[in-house]
Amino acid sequence: MEPQEAAGAAGGGGGGAGLLELELPRRGAGEAGAAVAVAAELEARRSGETRRLVLSRRLSGPLPAGLARWFPALEVLDVSGTGLAALGAELLELPRLRTLLAKNNRLGGPGALPKGLGQAPLARSLRVLNLSGNRFAELPAALLGLRGLQSLSLGGNRLHSIPPEIQALSSLEFLYLGGNFITSIPPELANLPSLSYLVLSDNKIQSIPPQLAQLHSLRSLSLHNNLLTYLPREILNLVHLEELSLRGNPLVVRFVRDLTYNPPSLLELAGRTMKTRNIPYAPSDLPGNLVRYLSLASNCPNPKCGGVYFDSCVRQIKFVDFCGKYRLPLMHYLCSPECSSPCSSASQSSTSQSESDSEDEAIVAAHRMQKVLLG
Amino acid sequence: MEQLVQTEVWKAQTLQELIQILHRLFSGDKVSVEEVQALMESYESNPVEWMKYAQFDQYRYTRNLVDKGNGKFNLMILCWGEGHGSSIHDHTDSHCFMKILQGNLKETLFEWPGKKGTGAMTKKSERVLEENQCAYINDSIGLHRVENTSHTESAVSLHLYSPPFDSCNTFDQRTGHKHNVKMTFYSQFGERTPGATVVSQENN
Repeated sequence: MEPQEAAGAAGGGGGGAGLLELELPRRGAGEAGAAVAVAAELEARRSGETRRLVLSRRLSGPLPAGLARWFPALEVLDVSGTGLAALGAELLELPRLRTLLAKNNRLGGPGALPKGLGQAPLARSLRVLNLSGNRFAELPAALLGLRGLQSLSLGGNRLHSIPPEIQALSSLEFLYLGGNFITSIPPELANLPSLSYLVLSDNKIQSIPPQLAQLHSLRSLSLHNNLLTYLPREILNLVHLEELSLRGNPLVVRFVRDLTYNPPSLLELAGRTMKTRNIPYAPSDLPGNLVRYLSLASNCPNPKCGGVYFDSCVRQIKFVDFCGKYRLPLMHYLCSPECSSPCSSASQSSTSQSESDSEDEAIVAAHRMQKVLLG
Repeated sequence: MEQLVQTEVWKAQTLQELIQILHRLFSGDKVSVEEVQALMESYESNPVEWMKYAQFDQYRYTRNLVDKGNGKFNLMILCWGEGHGSSIHDHTDSHCFMKILQGNLKETLFEWPGKKGTGAMTKKSERVLEENQCAYINDSIGLHRVENTSHTESAVSLHLYSPPFDSCNTFDQRTGHKHNVKMTFYSQFGERTPGATVVSQENN
């Protein structure tokens, strides 16, 4: 997050060369602040040296079109709490804007962000964008052109999903999406190579895609107040993770016995054999649907197994200490009840507990399979 | 006829004055919790006075030492980014005063877990503290979790602990399992403490 500034600093700096910061504070609760009056005041204070502009006055219309002409050196623009319903073309000419704060406004309708954002100088210069506390129901596509963006906040909006195209924001290090209505996470989120801080708290997320473990730079992951019952086993691969929040999730506490293990179909058995025995095939040898099916094989995580599975697998929950947490339920998929998962690789885990659990689990699962076959 | 003892009501006009009065209050052997709480509440937060202690970290909340209280207490400022929260923790037999300097913090009170430490912990109550309010807790009252639940605003709080302590227990809400952690300062007297970015042990 951006460094906190002192609230209530006196508004309107004096004139003169070297003026770096200009603030137009709120003028009393009742006044609407006609757009014309704001424009006139800004124009009167125009300067080629102003680097920061903070507007707290309630605006009745859009930002003045002359903004870039009056403040060509602007690096930080804060229009939070001004009631803006749209950010327009006035932004497109700011050649050096690095930080844009537009929290707590009325942004979110169509045209909330200007077209052509991806071609403007902003696309290369903007590093920090804060749109929290607005009304966005989906991540605005106009944002995706901001290649240089390092920090994006859409906290407290109305997002129902994260578009896979988010992977276009390849410089992103900080992504705040807490306080929305997000139900699932696209695996493409894992393609952000520099992501170190990811906030998904206060949403409606039911599961974490295992691909998220590919976020090698991730230092902090915030998942509190969601609908998670377990985490993917792969989360143990996040070796740089130092902060993990999980409170307010219905995480299972006791071993969850697997529901019936459906024995594999003939198709699955044939597929498994092809894969494990490395039987060669060319796309011309098989119907397209079977070629596709074979490509969906998942490797059994048991290193001693080397097997694969397609649709038929055993789900097991193992409890592992990780990242300062005690007994996190991690979901394991295995190719058969006889397979057992590798021990956790977490540094702080008390594996003795987990191991004895795993033996019990393997025995129970095997018995269940016998019941299915005999029953 | 009983003599009614008038509790002194102090008003601190500035942060410096607050610290001075605190030193006076803690100089003796006995301190009144009500007096300290009223004093802390009386100070109207002025960001210009505490800005230099308000050093934020993007990943988690920070503890910034303001005054060592001649060994009788620690006064510190905590900075909470959007969504930052603490674990459920105890207070190592000390008194804890928490005053909001900016923004809001949610305080959730919990019962101590049972002897075996199994089963989910029982929530007693929760409330949202507003600017300038001051809360008080000690181990006999219970355990608490403090969080900035805002997704748009950061929060700053002023904490007084007496006697000072540098370790406490954190509790896992699902199981009551407890874990002792050492607490560190992100900055002291406004200076960033080098090498103090220890791996967080206080995850929740």
